Amino acid sequence: MDPTVLQAGYDLLGDGRPETLWLGIGTIFMLIGTFYFIVKGWGVTDKEAREYYAITILVPGIASAAYLSMFFGVGLTEVEVVGRGTLDIYYARYADWLFTTPLLLLDLALLAKVDRVSIGTLIGVDALMIVTGLIGALSHTPLARYTWWLFSTIAMIVVLYFLATSLRSAAKERGPEVESTFNTLTALVLVLWTAYPILWIVGTEGAGVVGLGVETLLFMVLDVTAKVGFGFVLLRSRAILGDTEAPEPSAGEASAAD
Amino acid sequence: MSDESNETVAVLNTTSVVGIAVCFVLAVAALFALPTVQARGGVGFDTAFWIISAVELVAALGIAYFVINLHEERG
Repeated sequence: MDPTVLQAGYDLLGDGRPETLWLGIGTIFMLIGTFYFIVKGWGVTDKEAREYYAITILVPGIASAAYLSMFFGVGLTEVEVVGRGTLDIYYARYADWLFTTPLLLLDLALLAKVDRVSIGTLIGVDALMIVTGLIGALSHTPLARYTWWLFSTIAMIVVLYFLATSLRSAAKERGPEVESTFNTLTALVLVLWTAYPILWIVGTEGAGVVGLGVETLLFMVLDVTAKVGFGFVLLRSRAILGDTEAPEPSAGEASAAD
Repeated sequence: MSDESNETVAVLNTTSVVGIAVCFVLAVAALFALPTVQARGGVGFDTAFWIISAVELVAALGIAYFVINLHEERG
């Protein structure tokens, strides 16, 4: 199939990369998200809430650095693929995912309050998902690339299944507030994470149906939503508060206690 | 009725805070370090890339560990 039937963007740096527009916007959104979470979390004293803030600030923090490295072309390389010629691969994207996806899952695992073995298993399969995707991205034949993509996608399905079953059951036991927040976040993750392998397979690293500009734009939208949007939903919920800052009792409950 | 002498309070674990900061700086530095690793280490792209990826994963695991141990109980 002919590659790059769709292109979009604007070459901000004058180095022949129109996708720099989307990488620049991605950097700005990630920075805004990072500073918003820092300001929101400043002075938080609740023990459990602090843990969520620590994780959720670091996720867009590292993503902004990854987007900046891609913007300046540091996080970019070329890979020769048989029958496709030379492909531009933004490898910093994968390094970013290796760091951020385990932390996003840790947020969900802490919310569901599952044991450390479950957290380790979840993060282990997640790492497998990203590493196999990495191998695919650096492979030189289409067959190898699609095979590793399939492995990575299967690992992603296992992660999502684990979230939708075991962790969901655990979250349900923690009360309606946690259950509601967990379900919202899991739905967000299920939809957004499923879009990644689809975009990969139609993008320049897969079949090449869409060009690098559109691919970068869509990855940026997915990344910002999956990191900043995820954090926004999580940190505005009272589910992250520990017992010490549980919701205040209603007037009726307070007077009854008196 | 509670015995106040047995009450514990959760305080920030300084080691964990430092650990999180170090892991974060390491992860950011790694994102920009590939050309340097290639040049100074005399290795090819693939090797340098896997070194960078390993650093990112270890940094993430380090942060997960330090966040889980962000507080310590003191009596």
